[in-house]
Amino acid sequence: MFSNPTRSLLGAGRRLRVPLSARWQSTTPVQPSAPSPAQETKTASPAKSVPILEANAAKSTGPANTEPELPSEQRVKEWSERMGALDNNARLPRSVQAVYMRPLRRKAEHGLPVCDLQLRSYSVENVEFFADFAIRAAYYLNLPVSGPVPLPRIVERWTVPRSNFVHKKSQENFERITLRRLIQIKDGNPQSVQAWLAFLRKHAFYGVGMKANVWEHESLDVGKAMDQSATEVQKTLEPHLAQFGQREDNSAGNNMFDVLDSDRFAERKSARA
Amino acid sequence: MSKMASMFRPKKLDLSGFVNTRLIRDHNKRNAVEQTEPERQALRYMIRNTSLPQRVRAQAQLQLSQMHAYTRPTQIKNRCVASGTARAVFRDFRINRFQFRMQALAGELPGVKKASW
Repeated sequence: MFSNPTRSLLGAGRRLRVPLSARWQSTTPVQPSAPSPAQETKTASPAKSVPILEANAAKSTGPANTEPELPSEQRVKEWSERMGALDNNARLPRSVQAVYMRPLRRKAEHGLPVCDLQLRSYSVENVEFFADFAIRAAYYLNLPVSGPVPLPRIVERWTVPRSNFVHKKSQENFERITLRRLIQIKDGNPQSVQAWLAFLRKHAFYGVGMKANVWEHESLDVGKAMDQSATEVQKTLEPHLAQFGQREDNSAGNNMFDVLDSDRFAERKSARA
Repeated sequence: MSKMASMFRPKKLDLSGFVNTRLIRDHNKRNAVEQTEPERQALRYMIRNTSLPQRVRAQAQLQLSQMHAYTRPTQIKNRCVASGTARAVFRDFRINRFQFRMQALAGELPGVKKASW
């Protein structure tokens, strides 16, 4: 029974057992206690097989055969082994895996800048993290992004005397460094750009300031469209425009002092007293 | 118009935090300037407008000079909000230099660190 390939398989089984103990417990009622013939053949097959096959073999043989060996073995395995087993057997959801990799990006078709977002912070971690977050969010909103561009730092320095009174010789320096990152959105839909900005504002990170410049692009005959809408605009403005200019009955020797002494100014004077 | 500064004083204290007589006075001046700014600007315009009769301009000059001192924008002085001091107040923080040092060392000013280069 303990031919070379089988032994290696058993080793794999032990390696897999430790991190997945909870799974073993959950699966034992479902799994038949006796290994099926098909799995037996897999156990007998050479060790150079796909990891999934190995796992299967471990499932079938592991609990029955390795039980007596366990007390002598170390129960808790090294982290590297445990993580390796995880790799072989299970994987994280794709969206979670993506967090560990560089952010995905859409390709810009025309490269027309639509929105410039500037992030500012006093700490590198915060601004880097939030820039990364913004880029990932843009990917899922289908917005092509370029950046983050590290803009020049703003360094402010102050020198103050250490004491509260005289002793100008002994001073102390303080500084505040503002770090900036620029994220540019290219040819995105204006509505999704707005959605992106709203999302970033909703999930604003502590200690990170945001400033966005948004550009809207119109077709070439924008003048015609404006001319068409001008009449409506004028109608809405008429009541306001009627207030401008001098009234005809106002011209009769009405000097400024009367205005200043009028009720309106008198009211204000009495109000603040 | 009476020349009493009390006319600019609110009935109830409208400041919080560190409070000082001089701080309150400065605050009252700021309020007075804010409220009388259009009036002052109108008078200034009349004084400078050469198309107006000389008499009107002279009258405007008089009226402007008779306005209360608290309504002059030059009366405003930046004071430290933490100690009321009027000297070495940083505009960025509205704080005196010594208060700035104390607060910076205590880590109360975001991003301000001791510098060495």
